[in-house]
Parts: sequence; C-alpha cells; structure tokens
Amino acid sequence: MDNFFLLMEGFATAMQPMYLLFALGGVLVGTAVGVLPGIGPAMTVALLMPITYSLEPTAAIIVFAGIYYGGMYGGSTTSILLNTPGESSSIVTALEGNKMAKAGRGAAALATAAVGSFVAGTIATVLLSFLAPFVAAFAVQIGPVEYVALMVVAFLTVGALLGSSVLRGLASLGLGLFIALVGFDALTAQQRYTFGSPFLADGIDVVLVAVALFAVGEALYVASRLRHGPIKVIPVTGGWTSWLRKDDLRRSWKPWLRGTFIGFPVGTIPAGGADVATFLSYASERKLAKGENKKQFGKGAIEGVAGPEAANNAAAAGVLVPLLTLGIPTTATAAMMLVAFQRYQIPVGPQLFESNSALVWALIASLYVGNLMLLVLNLPLVGIWVKILQIPRPYLYAGILVFAVLGAFSVNFTPIDVIILLVVGILGFFMRRFGYPIAPMVVGLILGPIFESQLRRSLAISQGDPVALIQSPVAATIYVVLIVIFALSLLLKRRQRQFEAMVAANADAADVVRGSEAGTAGAGADASTTAPSVTAPGSPTSSAPSSPATSAAPSSPTSPGSDRKDTGR
Amino acid sequence: MSTSVQNSPGSGTAAAPGKPIGELVFALLIVSIGVVGFVAGAGIQTPPSASDIGPRAFPFAVSALLVAVGAGLVFQVLRGHRGSADEGEDVDLEAKTDWLTVGKLAGFVLLHAFLIVPLGWPVAAAILFFGAAWSLGARPWWRNLVTAIVLALVLQFVFGGLLGVSLPPGFLEGLGIFGG
Amino acid sequence: MSTIVVGYVPNALGEAAVAEAVEEARRRDAELVVINTTRADRLVNPAYADSEDVSKLEGILSAAGVPYSIRHSISEATAAEEVVDTAAELAADLIVIGLRHRTPVGKLIMGSTAQTILLSAPCNVLAVKLS
Repeated sequence: MDNFFLLMEGFATAMQPMYLLFALGGVLVGTAVGVLPGIGPAMTVALLMPITYSLEPTAAIIVFAGIYYGGMYGGSTTSILLNTPGESSSIVTALEGNKMAKAGRGAAALATAAVGSFVAGTIATVLLSFLAPFVAAFAVQIGPVEYVALMVVAFLTVGALLGSSVLRGLASLGLGLFIALVGFDALTAQQRYTFGSPFLADGIDVVLVAVALFAVGEALYVASRLRHGPIKVIPVTGGWTSWLRKDDLRRSWKPWLRGTFIGFPVGTIPAGGADVATFLSYASERKLAKGENKKQFGKGAIEGVAGPEAANNAAAAGVLVPLLTLGIPTTATAAMMLVAFQRYQIPVGPQLFESNSALVWALIASLYVGNLMLLVLNLPLVGIWVKILQIPRPYLYAGILVFAVLGAFSVNFTPIDVIILLVVGILGFFMRRFGYPIAPMVVGLILGPIFESQLRRSLAISQGDPVALIQSPVAATIYVVLIVIFALSLLLKRRQRQFEAMVAANADAADVVRGSEAGTAGAGADASTTAPSVTAPGSPTSSAPSSPATSAAPSSPTSPGSDRKDTGR
Repeated sequence: MSTSVQNSPGSGTAAAPGKPIGELVFALLIVSIGVVGFVAGAGIQTPPSASDIGPRAFPFAVSALLVAVGAGLVFQVLRGHRGSADEGEDVDLEAKTDWLTVGKLAGFVLLHAFLIVPLGWPVAAAILFFGAAWSLGARPWWRNLVTAIVLALVLQFVFGGLLGVSLPPGFLEGLGIFGG
Repeated sequence: MSTIVVGYVPNALGEAAVAEAVEEARRRDAELVVINTTRADRLVNPAYADSEDVSKLEGILSAAGVPYSIRHSISEATAAEEVVDTAAELAADLIVIGLRHRTPVGKLIMGSTAQTILLSAPCNVLAVKLS
C-alpha cells in the first residue's frame, strides 16, 4: 500500500514536537472561536493569513486544519451549556443537548458530543485517507472540459444552497466573480475593470476581500444591532462523576456511527456543508429511536446529541475530499484554506496529491492528531471555554477589527488596502443586512480565475464551439449528477425548513405551558427555561406574545436557515 | 418590597429589518454593477493574436449574471419578498439600527489607515481598539486604554517581531523584538 | 429608617455578604436594599443573578424577617457605580460587599469592583470575607 507509507511519513512529520505544538495552537484557537459568538473558523483563518508570510507551508496548514476541526468541537460546548450554538452545524445539538444540561446531564451531553466527534472525525479521516488518493488519481485524468463542469456544479450548489435565497446566493457569487476579474487578465495581460487606477491593476487581493467581508462586515453589522438583552447564566453541570454512564454509551455508539456515515458523504458533495448533515442525522435518530428513548426526544435524548455531533465532524472531513483532490472548496473555511495554499504558490487541484504529497499527508496525519488532542483537551477545559464567553462584546469586536486591519495592511504594506478593506467591509455589512450570504462571494472570488482559464482552455481546444463543453461523456455525467444533487438538495432544504418550523412550533407551545405553570409574574426573566425556539426564515414566527421565554432573546438559538459561521463568517 | 426587574420580555414577532428602500437600492446596485461590467467590458482590448475566446467573454458572462440576478431581486423586493437579515448570538434583530455606532467604527478604521504611516502600527492599532471599544460602549475608559495598549504591543511583538511581518513599529523603532 | 445597601452576586461570597447585611440590618433596625445588575455587554455574566437566584434570595431575605427590596436590573453603569449611586441616592448608612482575594495581575486586567466602591462610597463600607 503505497498510500499507507505516505500516510506514515505524514505522521512522522506531524508528530515532530514543533508541528505538534502548531496543531495544539490551532485546535485551541479553533475551539475558542467555535465557542465565541460572532467569530468562526472561516473568519479566523482569514484573519490569521499573515502567518503565511513567515511560517513554512506545513506549519501554517496544520494550524489552519486545527482551527477548522477545533471550531466544530467548540460549537457544541456553547450549544449544550448555553443553548447558543456557536456554529451553524451545532444548532441541532442545542435541541437535545441544552435540555440534557438543564436536567443535570450536561457532562454526559458534552462527553457524548466530544467522544462522538472524535469517533466520527477519526473514521472520517480514515475514509479521507483512503478515498482521496483514488479521487485524485481519477481527477488528474480529467481535462479542462470536465473541470469546467465540476466548477459549474460547485458554483451553482454553493451559490444557490448556502443561504436562504437562491437569487441572493447567486448575486453574491456574481459579485465575487466580478471582483476577481479586476486586474490583469492572466492569459492576454490585458487590464480589465481597473479604470486606469494603478492600485486596481494588480487586482484586489482575495485575503483583503475575505477579511473585509467576514470580519469588518460582521463587526459593523453586530454594532448596528448590538444585543443589550438579558444574560443567561450558565447552567451548572454536575461533576465528572455523571459523564458517560454505561447506559449512555450503549445509546450513543450507534448514533455516532450512523452520524459518521451520514456526515461524510454529505460533506463530500457540495450540498451546503455540515448543517445539512446534522439535520439529517437528527431526523434519522429521531425516527429510529424506540419506546422510552423516543419519548425523550425534545426533552434531552442523548441520541440527538451523539448523532448530529458525529455527523458534523464527519462532514468536516468530507469537505476536504473535493478541496484536496479537485481544488474545489464547498464551505467558506475550505475556501480560506485554499487561499492559504495559494499564498504558498502551491497549485491546488487534481495534481496536489502528486506535486505536494508530503504536505498533503502531513495535513491528513495532523487531522488524526488534532482530533485526539481535541478529545483530551475539550472535556477538562470546558471551564475555560465558558470563561472566554465573558469577554465583553466591545472588546471582542474591537479586537476583530484590529486583527482585520492587521491582515489587510500586511497584504501589500500599504494603508490604501485598509481603505479598500473598509469599503468592502461596508459592502459586507449591507449584504448581511439584506440577507445575502457571504460564502458564495468568497468562493466565486477564489474559483473565478481558475474557472475562466479552464473555460477558455476548453473552448480553445474546441475552437470556440460551446457544444464541446457538454459533449464529453464525463462532463455530461457531471451535469446530470448536478441536476440530481441540485434537486435533492433543494428538497432537503425544504424538509429541513419544515422540520425547523415544526420544532419551533413545538418549543413555543411547550414554553407557553411552562410559562403559565411557573407563573413567575413580573420576573419574566426566566431565561434559563427557554426552549430552543428555532424559527426558520420566512416561516411565520409563532412566538406568542404571552410566552416570555421565547423572546428572551440571547438564549434562543439562531436560525439554522441562515448560513452561520462556517459558511458566512 | 419592590422588585425592579427591568429585563422586560420583548414580545411580538421580529420587526422587519429596515425599509425596503435600502434593499431595493442594493438590488439596483447589483444590476448597475452588471451594466458597468458591460460598458467597461467593451473597452477591454482583445489582442488580435488571441486564438481562444479572448479576455472579454467571461466578463460579459459575469455581467449578464449580475444584471439578470439583480433584476430578479428588484422584482422580488418590489413584490414584497424581503431578505432575512443575518442572525447571530450578539445580534438583536428587533433592535433599531444604530447608524451612529456603525459610523464611528467605520471612522476609526479610516483614521487608522491614515495613522499607520505617521505614527507606526502599534499606536494606530491601539487608537483603533480604544476607539472601537468606546464606540461599542465599553467602560471604564482606562481599562479600554490598558487593553488597547497591551493588545497592540502583543500583536506587534508576535507578528512584527516573531513572525517577521513588516509592520512599521513607530516609536518602538530600534527595539529589535518588535521588528521593523 | 436607615438603609443598608448590599452588593449581591449569586455565589457563596454574595450569600455571605447578604447574611452579614441581615445581621447589620437587625442590629441597626434598617432596611436592606440588595443590588444585582449587569451591563449586558457580554454573552455570559456569572455575576448576574437569574430568576432562580432571585427567588432564592427572596426566600433568604423574607425568612430573615427584615424589610428589604431587590434591585435587579440591566444598567449602563458598572456594578460599582450602581452600588455607590444607590447608596448616595438613599443616603444609606452602610454598604455591604463581598471581598475576595485577587491577584495583582487579575486586578490590573479586570479592575476591582470592591476597590472602586471602597474608594468612592458616600458612607461606611463593610467588606465581608469568605471564611
């Protein structure tokens, strides 16, 4: 097994003390940003892009991979303890996990989430290790025509599916493609859309735009509607005495495995990233549960934490398959990792496995290591993660701005980039305000130039005949698959929304009942009893005015329909 | 006994964010970017030697996408379909838009851009942090100041000193550990 | 009737402060004003009492049989300012606060609510230590 030896070599690299330290730093930062509100792995990788100036590629990629995985773990902690999912992919976890925490089973919920994430992450990384080389071997054989077809798939799915509105997603994609056009044309060296400005001649840097959209846009947007609501105090969880009992383990291991095998494939196809996987896993666990366990759903069923948490980590590994084998990012974080490769002049695409096999295998090996670190660190450090939630919001967003200007300035070491940062950041602010997803723009920005050159190459071969683009049997197959994926994904999205509306309705009803039972007149501040009132965008918000708990805003999870951190920040 | 609990539950459904005017303008902006794309795209020179479809075709395709999608959005907004504003843990969708704070933050970022060169990065960054924290309502001011200075120095040390990113150190020039 | 202002946080120290304040109120025949506020500027603030804490506090106070009121709110002012301002507003005789050990670095980073109250209080301050 050739690949096996390459993987072992990767381990030899990743296990060097220096790289272990980088991986540790990455997973710690990743978990922290997963826990923190307003900042996610995509934004963090964008903000930390300056480290690529001096770190060697392997170290930087290991740090970014750690951030990527750590973010997945961090999100579950806040979901369970606070009912405020830090990541979109942790929203489903909040449904059952927070109920468990309230019932004093918080430690068990955290444990099943952490162990499930570890099991799923490890199995999915094994799948990645064996699947990716085969996909890559196939991918190097495809020509520009097929590559164009694959990118059309990526554009359409990312544009249309990451976000709540298809048109807005496509508009965002178009804006990204447009910005990518500014500067010299790579093939003919003609200036395009530079309007005679020397600053635009080199094009607008991808990192600059990404940092502006993710960080500055977010800071401005949060500032415009800063929450001053009541604060929910963390429910205290029991000590480690109550963590995974035999019974919990018996109920958890199947959901872990099912979650893994749902999450990984969903991650590999560009169908909207991890949140779809968590939703699918939750729905199937709910369906498969029997008897007493089924009744617990909605009241803190451990299966509802174990499955989705496993699914989101498996999906995270799945996302790396198209990224590493085809150079196609399907989430915002993956897009930023692609940018990191580009910073090092490493051509991302089918040839990556051949041209930089040492780096790729070190990255994959570091995923195994990072997963283990996260398992070991996450449970004992829960107290620290909860502490960082006490950072005052002004400091958090002021800090994000400082990191953003640092990243912008260090692109070309000119203050003009900081001004461009601000302008694009204001664009990002309005995009958030009007419900335009950010991720398609970043993906369009990154893939646009590659897409254009492949497109022109294929048309040059066919001497300008566009029919050639669909004549290749492989390309035709890809387009057919595209239509199938597309239809399926839209169907899934609709199911997800219906499901969320249903959950929201149930939660509201439960709150009204509980509110009248408790009868805490006047106080109304029982934020701690807030049920997850998930409201899908567009669905009629059924928060009855008589239910104080539902509107105690900070404790209700944010809508899963909106693309949250991984996709939007 | 008076229990003055002020955290009143905000009842009712989420208020529609902003006026549709803004959304309409944004959709029209997308259309106009597409139009600009066509107009400016016509000015892109095509070398006669080019054997392929040349540097103009793709810009035209992107412009067409923007015009079509933008027009669709204008139509949607006019028919009353509104975008759902992004949600977040720190975002209160029912809050009125605080334009003043947004303006202050943007102003401090702009100020920072003009201060980097004359004052050096650490000072400019500390001013940005201090100003942004103040704009967002952090108190007391001396804690903001201490945090701003410590953060600026740490970042200058880590990125300028350790990682070799050439941030102008300003008054720290000469102190090797802060790079330069 | 004289007034005693107590700064309350939902933990053992806060309860110790309240217990001590109850003693003082009995001795001085005074009314207790228990204060717990937050600036609501962060996602999690463990020093802010939730409804459970408040009802627990009410239980303790009514069992103690002293006249009391609870000011539990979100405020723009810092906790220290809120305590000092309330004491000034009510012309209180005494402020009771909990005092915990702080490292010098901790004080530098986060400041000290207790210190601010001690320095700017309009009346005597009783600092309660957790034994």
